[in-house]
Amino acid sequence: MTAKAPMNLRRLLIGSAVFRLALILYGEWQDAHMEVRYTDVDYLVFSDAASLMASGSSPYKRTTYRYSPLLAFLLLPNSVLHRSWGKFIFSASDLLVGYFIYKILKQRKVAEDLCLYSVMVWLLNPFTFTIGTRGNCEPIVCAMILWILICLMNGKIIQAAVWYGLVVHFRIYPIIYSLPIILVLNPRYIQLGKKPLLVNWKSNAHRPSSQSGMEASTRYNLWTAAKSMFSKERVLFGLVSGGIFFLCTGLFFHLYQWEFLNEALLYHLTRADPRHNFSVYFYHIYLQYGRQLSLVEKLISFLPQSIVQLVLISTFAQDLPFCFFLQTVAFVAFNKVITAQYFVWFFCLLPLILPWSDMKLKWEGLGCVGLWMGAQLHWLLWGYLLEFKGQNVFLQLWMASLVFLLANASVMAVFIRLQRFSPIFLQIKVSDSKSGVKSQ
Amino acid sequence: FFQDCILKSYFSKHEVLSDSSFRDLLQDELSKFSCKLLPGDPNPQLTLSGLERHLIGEGSHRHLSSTIQLQIPPQSFPLQSCKLVMIERLPSGVFADPFELDHLLHHGAYAAIGVFGDTNLELPSVSSNRSAVEIHMNFKHNTSSGAMSELGIRIDLPLHARYAPLHESGYSEVAFGTPDLLVSCSMEGSSEKRSCLIVPSSDSNRLRTDVVVWKIPCGIMSYTNVVSVVTFATALVSTLVIVLPSVLYSKPR
Repeated sequence: MTAKAPMNLRRLLIGSAVFRLALILYGEWQDAHMEVRYTDVDYLVFSDAASLMASGSSPYKRTTYRYSPLLAFLLLPNSVLHRSWGKFIFSASDLLVGYFIYKILKQRKVAEDLCLYSVMVWLLNPFTFTIGTRGNCEPIVCAMILWILICLMNGKIIQAAVWYGLVVHFRIYPIIYSLPIILVLNPRYIQLGKKPLLVNWKSNAHRPSSQSGMEASTRYNLWTAAKSMFSKERVLFGLVSGGIFFLCTGLFFHLYQWEFLNEALLYHLTRADPRHNFSVYFYHIYLQYGRQLSLVEKLISFLPQSIVQLVLISTFAQDLPFCFFLQTVAFVAFNKVITAQYFVWFFCLLPLILPWSDMKLKWEGLGCVGLWMGAQLHWLLWGYLLEFKGQNVFLQLWMASLVFLLANASVMAVFIRLQRFSPIFLQIKVSDSKSGVKSQ
Repeated sequence: FFQDCILKSYFSKHEVLSDSSFRDLLQDELSKFSCKLLPGDPNPQLTLSGLERHLIGEGSHRHLSSTIQLQIPPQSFPLQSCKLVMIERLPSGVFADPFELDHLLHHGAYAAIGVFGDTNLELPSVSSNRSAVEIHMNFKHNTSSGAMSELGIRIDLPLHARYAPLHESGYSEVAFGTPDLLVSCSMEGSSEKRSCLIVPSSDSNRLRTDVVVWKIPCGIMSYTNVVSVVTFATALVSTLVIVLPSVLYSKPR
């Protein structure tokens, strides 16, 4: 069994790689022969920005390029080697995510078959293999997030902080993980220079039926967090990640001036796109477009997102992968703009939590998939009628987006109800910090 | 004949497209060209015998198809080399994607094609200015038959609708004007013995064609309050759906 196991992961990765290569080649053929392109419009934007950078100009001369100059830099070989270089990089990152998922679960002693099924949930997900092969850069972000988790699990706080600063510069949304990471860097669990003890997976673990432990432990965690807020691990993480972020910002501002700041940073913070998308807010934004909103109206739109994020963090921070997963689903669902590429942000975290879920495929699992996909397909149907048939179905499309938000919230509620809470780190005994508590 | 782009020179002097200032500039540009036949040549000039305009497709992405019917006079030389320049001043509410036009250019559909003015692909029409497309097309024509020949040239322009301003009917109507047309034909390899045709868009006699109207769905202002209230109420309900199980969540000791 042990000798066969590494072969299965290898076979899975090789098979996935071959499939992705085939998709990239097919994409080239479709782009050349059919009116509808396989390649994402964004990929053409990245490539153009990269060629501008190669010729010494600013990548922001390319309209709608709203990413870090690092992305254009990564894609410089597009103009020198082959235009699909970027797609190979993104697909390779997507395979790397699969490998990281396996590594994380194995480190927490998850059974081999469960590890492989979890990796398959990522590698065989249609969203996953289309996103990299169509030329979307999200797999790189996912790989960085998982690498940060691996660094934290191995006590490499500084390395985690460097990658965290970089990923927030690259994509901004991972800023939502800052508070749970800070909370988890509790000196009772993780200390600088020492490899932390992990809470491992147990095949026969049951969900606790009593609620008594919960509130006490939540309050205890928040209280100790408040007391040890300025532990050296936390301060170091904050300083290093903040330093890297501001270093990148400063460097690119020096190179590309306000264009960089406006397109790569401020645009994402103030984006209010009235065009139809999955977000519940799109029609409200369209109807209010051009009107000056009062302070109350502006705050109201932030309230649901902020409340949900704070409650999730205060409840689940210790179970870092689960907290990340829930936060990301909520962040995407309550955002002012939602596009399909955002979904991979939580798809890469889903395999990390499945081994601790009591959800059965029949019928809870399939029910969740059906509800979420059904709500999405329902929205897409109305979207098609609006955009490609020219029918005024704004009201119906808006209602479909309300249904989609409720579907996301319901799926989250099911996950929460059926998850076996598992903090990532084991508490180190204060009296004996060297040997620690024996793992379960 | 018209090697340069007229719209480029217009937008180098003006920020925003205005029909009256464009007409003035076009008149200036055209006065530089003389389309005289050789003296004593009894043959008639190029004439426009018809213009058909259709909006093809449904939804937010359509093609504006213009079929230009030309009558080309016979010449003493067999092969004529012709150039057609069409300037389409787009109404507010629609736009052409410059990258899509580049794609057409690389596929060899036209000798030159470009969009000028507000080429922003994302903003709604209330926040956008107008744009205009200039198309240059080369074609050859065989006139060895000795008689007047008819030629139909079709130009397809892919266009996209911007998000329209709100209207109670639920639809915003965008009407297209007529294009400016310039055609010149001469002996293959020579710019002498040239005959041309200039039909500015203001020439309503020659450019008689049905007005093309694009109905774009738009939001309805009277729904604003209901939409805002229900949106925030749903966001609140969803918040509770997530927060309640989290607060009631039981963790192991």
